[in-house]
Amino acid sequence: MGRILIVDDTLFMRTLLKNILFSGGHDIVGEAGDGDEAIAKYQELKPDLVTMDVVMPKVNGIEALKGIRAIDPNAKVVMCTAVGQEQMVKLAIKTGAKGYIVKPFQAPKVLEEIKNVLSS
Amino acid sequence: MALVPVKIEKDGKWLVGKIDLQQDSMNVVEPFKAAIPYKSVIDLEEKKNVLIITVKGDPPVIYRIASVEKVLQAMKRFIAMSCSAYRLMAYFMSPAVRGGVMVTNATWEKGAIAVLKSTIWFVSQNKQVSVALKEVTSMEITKKEVQKNQVDVLKLDHMENTDVVTSYVLCPLSTLQILINFLKDATKDLEITGEELDPVAAQVGMLIYSGMDSHAIEKMLNIPYKNLDEIYEKLLKLGMAEVTQVRREVQLTPKGVRFITESVKPPTQ
Repeated sequence: MGRILIVDDTLFMRTLLKNILFSGGHDIVGEAGDGDEAIAKYQELKPDLVTMDVVMPKVNGIEALKGIRAIDPNAKVVMCTAVGQEQMVKLAIKTGAKGYIVKPFQAPKVLEEIKNVLSS
Repeated sequence: MALVPVKIEKDGKWLVGKIDLQQDSMNVVEPFKAAIPYKSVIDLEEKKNVLIITVKGDPPVIYRIASVEKVLQAMKRFIAMSCSAYRLMAYFMSPAVRGGVMVTNATWEKGAIAVLKSTIWFVSQNKQVSVALKEVTSMEITKKEVQKNQVDVLKLDHMENTDVVTSYVLCPLSTLQILINFLKDATKDLEITGEELDPVAAQVGMLIYSGMDSHAIEKMLNIPYKNLDEIYEKLLKLGMAEVTQVRREVQLTPKGVRFITESVKPPTQ
């Protein structure tokens, strides 16, 4: 089980992910609504894993991923993308994302992916 | 070509038998005799390890056949490649995404797509995947990167047990357009018509999709059960959801209250 930081600009998606991850026994150590906040919270909270939305206002998920990797090259970040953002997925993986999930998602599969990334 | 062991259903009973698999037909040789030319097959469904083969006739004849995976694989391949269906040669990737998570090691398979009465078959030498048309949730032509090129593919979302699965079909765009038109026609009963969902109902739909139960949805959206029930009713009427269970809320009677009160009293010396 891990300490997880959830990054998404919509409260609805954050709440949904929080519920799913909590039901899987994970601790939600923080939430962020944009990339800047994500980098700051990562530095402050040092979570085991970050779920990161790709499309966000101000600093997007890819830039935030770069920022987090600059602080911690071993950071475990799972990107959350909407369907049809495959280019973003490729870019995220090149940038160092450890996994990716596509919205809309199903709870058991998300938990499986998170477990895989945490144990990698 | 090959005599294979099977179990075949006759008059509601499963009988041990043998089928001779040929290039253009399969012939039941035991426990009864029947010739099934592949081109006479109008539908092929798979349920667990049973193949349901519908052969044209008036009325159509249905065979239910069970066997080991290797035998079923050969049957599926022969039938899907030769039966009476809309068929095209294509590359396919199935499953590519399951429940929102990319399937690792998903690869393009070179084979054929066959659209039958109730099922779409993806068939290659090593893999046969069936998707019931009634389980298709959406389809669109989209771009996907293949060998560093952006190419047109058909993206097909469908249910597999309780998982939502995405599969891709790759072939020339003109063929994809024919395929999607054919599939749209074959699944027109599933098209959403009538009123659209309001934002809250759409959020409820998203939460159901993600596996949340009523209690979690009420808490997350901060809506009373009565409102949620109205949204459920709407989803049910639109054929977008089905009832899986009805949960009851109860309160204790005086007898129950008495029992609980007694049970928490410290034991008397």
